[in-house]
Amino acid sequence: MRKSLIKQENNQQISGTDFKNYFQPGSLKEVLEIRDKYRDKVNLVAGATDIFVQYNERLHEIENWLDISRIEDLKKIEKRGKSIFIGPLVTHLEIMKSDLINKYFSALSAAALDVGSPQIRSRGTIGGNICTSSPAGDLLAPLLAYEARFHLSSKKERRIVESDKFFTGPKKNILKDNEILTGIEIPISDFEVYSYWEKIGRRKALVISTLTLSFVLEFEDDLIKRAGLAMGSVAPVPKRLNMIEEKMLKKKLSQLNYQKIAEEVKNNISPIDDLRGTKEYREDVAAEIMVNALEKIEKERVSG
Amino acid sequence: MKISLTVNGQLREVEITPYTRLLDLLREDLGLTGTKEGCGKGECGACTVIMDGELVASCLVPAPQAAGSEILTIEGLGSKENLHPIQESFVEAGAVQCGFCIPGMVLASKKLLDENPHPAEKEIRIGLSGNICRCTGYAKIIDAVMMAAEKMDGQESDQDG
Repeated sequence: MRKSLIKQENNQQISGTDFKNYFQPGSLKEVLEIRDKYRDKVNLVAGATDIFVQYNERLHEIENWLDISRIEDLKKIEKRGKSIFIGPLVTHLEIMKSDLINKYFSALSAAALDVGSPQIRSRGTIGGNICTSSPAGDLLAPLLAYEARFHLSSKKERRIVESDKFFTGPKKNILKDNEILTGIEIPISDFEVYSYWEKIGRRKALVISTLTLSFVLEFEDDLIKRAGLAMGSVAPVPKRLNMIEEKMLKKKLSQLNYQKIAEEVKNNISPIDDLRGTKEYREDVAAEIMVNALEKIEKERVSG
Repeated sequence: MKISLTVNGQLREVEITPYTRLLDLLREDLGLTGTKEGCGKGECGACTVIMDGELVASCLVPAPQAAGSEILTIEGLGSKENLHPIQESFVEAGAVQCGFCIPGMVLASKKLLDENPHPAEKEIRIGLSGNICRCTGYAKIIDAVMMAAEKMDGQESDQDG
């Protein structure tokens, strides 16, 4: 009896047996056509680990669903020339397990391991993490620090944007209403690379980060050739700290004043008080883990 | 909208809406109530099942994404008369109190031991990090997984048809 009641309730949500408002196309071409036709009236679904929570809690109504999870072309990780290409449907679990990503972008692998739980990592995708554009998205700081580029496509056009130009506000980005993210390109460095990743949260698993930091240093001989420093949950967008990066260039690690850099980090972020931590806490922790990052790379260089 | 999927080795056809959760499909349509609903947000792990070899929170899987997949629920792992070594170990270690989290805990343990037959304690904690237990404090659950690892040493864990 109870069973049939529940079924009836479920049935009320069906608008028609053909499910006109749920699309699960098999090709990218169809995806772009549907996106072009429905624009902001359609919500994209990949791993569903965010959107299904919101939908089930009725946080917002969703008119049309565009489920892109069947597009095989968007699930690959491959080396193309001097870059690694990651399809937006690659899951956090696949990132963790990828030899290519482990080899070249270890901070990204480490960040993927810190996302949610095994149950979330097996479904949630890198493209979802990027397009949800939460300032706390765990993969975002590493992507900024490695200078990833995002490939965007609409029915008629394609463009490539730098990751640090993509995010415009909390859960906001430059994607147009007819575009989708079709790939993440990360350049492979020619130099000696050291990477650091840290996530601060109130628990070890299943936690939205209080703060994340990703730091990449590339050396030619003993001099810093490139620095990538980015943080999450410290500003309205995942933040790359270019000014601090620039000051490290052409110097030896031993010439850097760690405390001074930590102080600059503190002064260049704009965290807020929320459930996960206060502004002061975040500033202090940011400074602390900046020093840890520098010390860890120093140790690795000595022992490596 | 009709989909077919393999559940515990059997091919099943189910009528769904696009927004049916895999969890509801299993519990309501197939009557497999061993899979539990805790938080409904992917945070507690009570609804854990194994889908195409990976651990998933069935409350976060839209049914259309489960079309064509292979699902293992707790009903597919051993029976009352013939417990899976993991289930046996949970009983022997006293790892079960209220029991609500246990189907998810057992499946997460199975997934862990399939990939890593001799996990260290830290690896067990990571493997079970998506499953919350509000009774036991986890110590006995971890003992149970270690016990199961010993029992299963050298033998296939596949009792899942």
